[in-house]
Amino acid sequence: MSFVTVLKKIFLIDLLEGLFVTFRHQHPDNLVTEQYPQERPVISDRFRGQPRLKKDANGKTLCTACGACALACPEKLIKVSSLRDPETKKKVLTEFDYDLGRCMFCGLCQEACSSNALELSPAYELALYSREGLELDRQQMEDGTPRKVYER
Amino acid sequence: MIKSFLGYLHSGVTPGEAGNLIWISIYVLLVFAGVSLGVMFMNWFERKIMAHMQVRMGPMRVGPHGLLQPIADALKLIIKEDLMPSNADKLVFWFAPVCVVMTAFCAFIVVPFGRTHAITDMNIGVVFMLGVSSLGVLGVIMAGWASNSHYSLMGSLRSGAQMVSYEVAMSMAVVSAVMMTSMATGTGTLSMIGIVQAQMQQHIWFVFSFFPVGLIALAVFAIAMVAETNRAPFDLPEAESELVAGFMTEYSGFRWSLFFLAEYTSMMAVSSIATTLWLGGWLRPFPNLLGGRNWDLAFSLVPGLTFAILALLCFLTFTRMPRIRAMRGDTAGLGGLACLLGILAVVLLLPGVRERVQDIFWFTSKVAFFMYFYVWGRTTFPRYRFDQLMTIGWKVLLPISIAVVILTALIGVRQDLFALVRR
Amino acid sequence: MSDNQFYESLDETKPGRTFLDSNELVLNMGPQHPSTHGVLRVILKLDGEKVNGIECVIGYLHRGIEKIAENRTWAGFGPFVDRLDYTAAVSNSLGYCLAVEKLLGVEVPKRAQYLRVILTELCRLASHQVWLGTHVLDIGAVTPLFYAFRDRETILGVFEKYCGARLTTHAFRIGGCRWDAYPGFAEEVLKVCDDLLPMIDEYRHLITGNRIWLQRTKNVGYISPEDCMSYSITGPVLRGSGIAWDLRKAQPYSSYEDFEFDIPTGTAGDTFDRYVVRVEEMRQSIRIIRQAVEGLPEGPIIARVPKVIKPPAGEVYVSTEAPKGELGYFMVSDGGPQPYRVRVRPPSFINLQALEKMAKGSLVADVVAIIGTLDIVLGEVDR
Repeated sequence: MSFVTVLKKIFLIDLLEGLFVTFRHQHPDNLVTEQYPQERPVISDRFRGQPRLKKDANGKTLCTACGACALACPEKLIKVSSLRDPETKKKVLTEFDYDLGRCMFCGLCQEACSSNALELSPAYELALYSREGLELDRQQMEDGTPRKVYER
Repeated sequence: MIKSFLGYLHSGVTPGEAGNLIWISIYVLLVFAGVSLGVMFMNWFERKIMAHMQVRMGPMRVGPHGLLQPIADALKLIIKEDLMPSNADKLVFWFAPVCVVMTAFCAFIVVPFGRTHAITDMNIGVVFMLGVSSLGVLGVIMAGWASNSHYSLMGSLRSGAQMVSYEVAMSMAVVSAVMMTSMATGTGTLSMIGIVQAQMQQHIWFVFSFFPVGLIALAVFAIAMVAETNRAPFDLPEAESELVAGFMTEYSGFRWSLFFLAEYTSMMAVSSIATTLWLGGWLRPFPNLLGGRNWDLAFSLVPGLTFAILALLCFLTFTRMPRIRAMRGDTAGLGGLACLLGILAVVLLLPGVRERVQDIFWFTSKVAFFMYFYVWGRTTFPRYRFDQLMTIGWKVLLPISIAVVILTALIGVRQDLFALVRR
Repeated sequence: MSDNQFYESLDETKPGRTFLDSNELVLNMGPQHPSTHGVLRVILKLDGEKVNGIECVIGYLHRGIEKIAENRTWAGFGPFVDRLDYTAAVSNSLGYCLAVEKLLGVEVPKRAQYLRVILTELCRLASHQVWLGTHVLDIGAVTPLFYAFRDRETILGVFEKYCGARLTTHAFRIGGCRWDAYPGFAEEVLKVCDDLLPMIDEYRHLITGNRIWLQRTKNVGYISPEDCMSYSITGPVLRGSGIAWDLRKAQPYSSYEDFEFDIPTGTAGDTFDRYVVRVEEMRQSIRIIRQAVEGLPEGPIIARVPKVIKPPAGEVYVSTEAPKGELGYFMVSDGGPQPYRVRVRPPSFINLQALEKMAKGSLVADVVAIIGTLDIVLGEVDR
């Protein structure tokens, strides 16, 4: 071992270097904690969060009740009910049941949707106190859940 | 009786030396309260400093910036269920934490916060402190035995072995410091107050005397005291990720908090030894180099100004609190704290008070410096394995400390000879 | 040692045996433990402090993923694959997609291959950050965990912006990638690389040069190259013992042959060398990412794949270099829309065999370090 290495070992230089690294990190600019829920994180647009059924500008649902999402879902948790409209001969959506409890937010349903109606919106605060509220019906899918404002 | 009560105030000695029972009791209560407050503060301080070094914020919710967190922790521990294993040795199980806490607090009988600010001054002060700390090892072993679990027993025996091994190196370092006390007067002293007075007479803090021997002695003592108190990087016996969770495994609730209290108290006790022996105890920096009335005045203003700055920081944070209804309590508390610190700052700036109290301030700040190093070391270093730990204690620190003793003796004798010849 | 023999040797009620007879202590490092990476139960036979034997009990995280595959469509099984090695979900997805594409005989466009490489190497960085943080935490240093996870946050942010999830990414589809690079992707990825490189140098000050770290990891958990080969150990464990085998160089897939990078190799086969190998791998990953981002070609991002995927009957085995080792997928197709059998070759499961070999004869405190250096994730071991 060279002389410098021996000196470094005696004077605990490696330990002191480690101490300085941790000391430097104390600077307030380095702190990365977000005080949730006052500071909420910035979520990207592609985030796969709460599922929503979109409506067009007139308030009519965009969903054509094709059932592609129900077929694509690996967990088979979407149930689409529809009626055949006698005039236009097209399917009209009556009920849309989505079991959020079994959903793994994979996004295959929003990929399969041909009319761009079903999307997994960036809302992520979905926690509830019991399982009953997890089976979403059509109304909840269209309205979404309001965002809570927390004071502390 | 009132005369003896007031008469003590004019004596220049500690109440133990004066034999004044009432003042002894008052000082005991004050030291007990102060040390307990220090432990609570250390809890908050450690969590905050560790957090900041780990780029996060630590407790922020309970009180402003988590200042009430220790109170919340204490409450939780008190109301937690106190378990006792069914096959445990009941008497020993009950007594072990009591023993550890008693010995840790007993060490504070001789700790001098100032010339008259100690409970008493024994002429064997240092040895008393080291001896009482050693009794704490007994409590640790009792705890492991009484838990009726071979993992706890293994952990406590390891912990006991570690504490005993490092005490030897600690004592050698202490011997070298004690030898330095005899340089001016020709007779050394073991009393804590006497050691600080020797530093005062020799116009030097022992850490700088016989440079670099004093520094090496302090370094040896510092490493040994970290191992003595089972703190990182020597905390294998109480580490969470190791298999043997240590002697504290079976303890919960209040009994565990007693161990926790004892650990922090013994940390402060050994830091007090280090401060008294090497860092000049209650002496302010540069009492002779920067002497004279003006410098004395300037230094005596430092405690008051420190609290004034703290009060200012509190006040600034108070003005920046969000003005929402839910945070009324926090804001009010912070404002109250700012006022309290401000009043304390003003009191400490009064001429009558500041001369008497500045000793305590300097002593406490030096001990706080060691506490910061404890936390800093815990955050930075990985843990030593037990056999490596014992190797360091016996094969590295002990030879170095013996060498330090011999060097101190040689240099001391040489200086004495020179002084003799010159006379 | 078969199950029976081991458990019988622990039986204190056998005639003639008392607890005081042997010095052997049976210690159970139970499924819940702050240091084992997941729910791994390790039964140790100790002689004082020395380890005489180790038996691992796994299965606490078994979710039947391979059985689930038989009841899902080929495309529908994609999200499940992320849950295997959940610290490095993207590389699992890559392996699966490559395997199905081989069955289908589909050629993935170049742009998709480069995107896949960028994301997989980012995922390798993220996985190594988790390994680093937890490994040093086991050894006692509490801070590098937070630094590692802070750096991992930047990478997970990229994943979130790209595919919408941080951990269970479901990043790739059969035939290519679902999404193209979002606006600002190249800049953000390069910024992640630029910010990460000085952090890797900082680990040198905080960990690599630290004498306590050296004492805890040098000569701990030694495994010879021959033993590695006979246990079929792959990944950084193999490379730490001196064998320079990396599937990205030996059997290149997904355009890895276009990039220039080194394979870090250790010499001593101990914990310290494996640590150095993984840290070096992080540097090499950054190198690959930079080359891939600069050379990102234009073009389609997904090949033409039928809506319902029905690969012709046959079987295929495709392996990739996951952060933990060689991750292989053996798939059998019977021509239908659902897989007949999916068998995953998990690197952590195979590497875990080496635990007994490495830990026998060492001290109890080293067992924790050795489990950390093997870098196991129970999601993979148990599936």
